[in-house]
Order: sequence, then C-alpha cells, then structure tokens
Amino acid sequence: MSEHLGGATLNLFVDGELGQEEALAVNAHLAECAACTSLTLSQMMLRQATAKAGRRYAVPAGLKERLHARGAEELAGGVTLRKEAEASTQRSLRWSGLGWVAAAVLLLAVGTTMFVERRAAGRAESAALVTEVFDQHVAVLAGSLPPQVVSTDRHTVKPWFQGKIPFSFNLPEGLAEDTALDGANLTYLHDQPVAQLLYHVGRHRVSVFLRERVGDGAGLETSADRAGYHVMSFERGGLEGVAISDVEPARLVGLVKAIEAVQGR
Amino acid sequence: MLPALYNLARWLARDPADAEDLVQETFLKALRGFAGFEPGTNFKAWIFRILRNTYLTSRTGLAARRTVALEDELELDGGVYPEGAIERQTPEVNLMRLSDQAAVEAALEQLSAPLLEVILLCDVEEMKYREIATVLEIPIGTVMSRIARARLALRTALQERPGERRGVRV
Ligand SMILES: [Zn+2]
Repeated sequence: MSEHLGGATLNLFVDGELGQEEALAVNAHLAECAACTSLTLSQMMLRQATAKAGRRYAVPAGLKERLHARGAEELAGGVTLRKEAEASTQRSLRWSGLGWVAAAVLLLAVGTTMFVERRAAGRAESAALVTEVFDQHVAVLAGSLPPQVVSTDRHTVKPWFQGKIPFSFNLPEGLAEDTALDGANLTYLHDQPVAQLLYHVGRHRVSVFLRERVGDGAGLETSADRAGYHVMSFERGGLEGVAISDVEPARLVGLVKAIEAVQGR
Repeated sequence: MLPALYNLARWLARDPADAEDLVQETFLKALRGFAGFEPGTNFKAWIFRILRNTYLTSRTGLAARRTVALEDELELDGGVYPEGAIERQTPEVNLMRLSDQAAVEAALEQLSAPLLEVILLCDVEEMKYREIATVLEIPIGTVMSRIARARLALRTALQERPGERRGVRV
C-alpha cells in the first residue's frame, strides 16, 4: 500500500491544488485506504462548511449608493480628489496611531508571557521598528499623495532636508539601470525625524529610512521579513538606515549597499 | 465584487462601522489607483490586495499583524506544525456540529486574523493558493502552512467531545 496522505497533501487535494498525476496518485491511495478516505471526506466537508458559514455578512442597505456617491465626487474633480486624499491619509494616520497603542498593549501582554528573557526586549523593539517601517511603506503604496519632494535628482532631494532634520546624508549615483529615486518624505520613526527616500527597482517600490544613530542604536536585526516584504538595515557614519521592499532581496541589498557606501563622506 | 469585499472586511474588522470605512477606503483607493491596474491581470486579487493593505493600516489590522509576527517566529523556531504532525493531531470532526452553521461561525470567529483571512480567501472566495499569496503578499509556502493551521484549529473547535456522540462520525 502506498504512503498515507500527509497533512499538506490532504489540503492540496481538498483545495484542488494538486497536478493531475499527483491527484491520480492520491485517488489510488484513497481507493485502498479507509482511514485516509475518511479523513479526506471530513476535510472536504469542513471546507464546504466554512465556505457556507464564511459567507456571513450581507452588504448593508445603502452602502452601494453611498459608495457611488463618493465615487462620483471623487471623479468629479481635482479639488475634491486632493481633499479626499488628505482626509484619507489623515485617517490612516489616526488609525495607525490608535493601532500603535493597541499593538503596544498587545505586545506587552503577549510579550511578557511568551519571552521573559531580556533578549526578547530587543527583539520586540526591533519588531516594533519593523512594524513602523512597514506601516509607513504601506501608507506610501496605498496612499495617492505624491512624495513631499518629488525629484529624481539627488541634488534636489538632499538640500530639501536641510534645516528639517538634525543630520545630513549622501545619495549615491550610478544606480542600476532600472533603479531610480522618485522623491522623499520627512517622517518620524519612534518620534525621531527621519528621511524616507523613495526609490523604485523595476516595478517594485522601495522605502529607505535614514535617521541619526542614537545611543547604541535601538538596533534592528540586520534583516527581517514582514508580510512578503523584506526589511534590512545598516549603520554607517553616525546614520542608521532601514530599507523595506517586496523586491527580491538580492536587488534590495544592491541598493542598500550603494546608499550605505556613500554615507559619512 | 462588493458583497465579497464587504464580507471579508466585516470578518476582519469585526465591526460594521469599521467594515464600511474599510470598504469605502478600498473603493476610493481602487478608483484613484485604477490607472495602475494592468488589464489582463487578476482584478479580484488586485482589489482584495488593496482591501487587505487598507486593513493592515487600520487599528484592528495592526493588532492582528502583531499576532502574525509572533506566529511566524514560532514557525521559524522549528515549526509548530511540521509535515506529518497534522494527522497525528487531527481531531475527529463532529458532523452534527459541522452542519450547525452557528457552530462553524463561532469556530471561525476564534481564528486569528492571519488564519481567518487565508481560510476565507481559500474556501469562500475559492482563490487558488497562488492568488492568495498575491493578495496577502506572502510566500505560497506560508499560505499552505496557514491553511493547515487554520483547518487544524477549526477541526479542534468542532471536534467530537466526550458525551456528545450522537452525531454521525467520520
Ligand atoms: Zn492512508
């Protein structure tokens, strides 16, 4: 008799994700194994039950009309669009502000029970930083507001920050062909002003946050992954940099190294 | 598309007003960003991704992401549910409870947001793993492991309990 179905195979089979040959092999096994057949059957019924129960909420009365009205306003013109964009940005800021408190409470509650070691504090802080970086990057991706300074010219972007942040930085030239600077934002991480540089690598957007290094650094582990995004950091010339993108890590490393190389000159 | 979007928003936001805000923001972002949508690519995945990203910056979304960070850490620390562990742990499902919609709804409500969203996209929206990976911006292997964990949790919530054996058993 062939081998029993593994948990992964079971789900792949139930979800119709197996190739023809694999599915045939599973069927052959099911034909001779009552235990796996019973398991498969119950997993299929579970899928059916969640499909039914998951379709739970009907669209509230009037929502469609409200959306249409908003959509019409939106399409009606520039001024509205701009205002909407600002309102929406402010709202997401407010949301993430609230969320930050909630997340902190949750982190404390979960963190103390899960990791009592001191090491955990560093990890939590690092995770918090990753979360902030992630939020800001997602806000840029999701938002429709242009960068505060729009320029592909590093000689425009760098001076724009003069007097706005308590440090200065350098921007590299001669980047890869499909890599370019789109602009920058002045923003905050852990209440510290940072320069958020916006790049793209091919079709992927990249945010690089630069800030002044304080103390021995709140320290991000060199790299981390969050929801499909890769985060990496560096320290050089009194600066701390954190980059985030969904571009393949090797390409992100290339850009980060180029930026790191010109700092402290 | 609206019923599907609202349904997911309502599950994730767990509150009607927040769900409506979420759908409205998604709708506006989709309108503004429509120029960036490439014809021929998956529209459903595209708009669900906008909804998901909007949710992530919301209050409930941020809290949920904290959970997933911890879970993924656990996973990295040696795999909570390695291949093969599933069948040893698979509880028998009680078919009576499986056909009791309120019981299944309650079991779904107990899932953490990362497991809930993956199971809703898979079972309710009937998305392929590849599409789910696109919407959630996670590797396909993570989709698979979350589906396994979600179903295990559901089976546990809906399992046969002692003194409750009148139902047909599988
Ligand atoms: Zn078998």
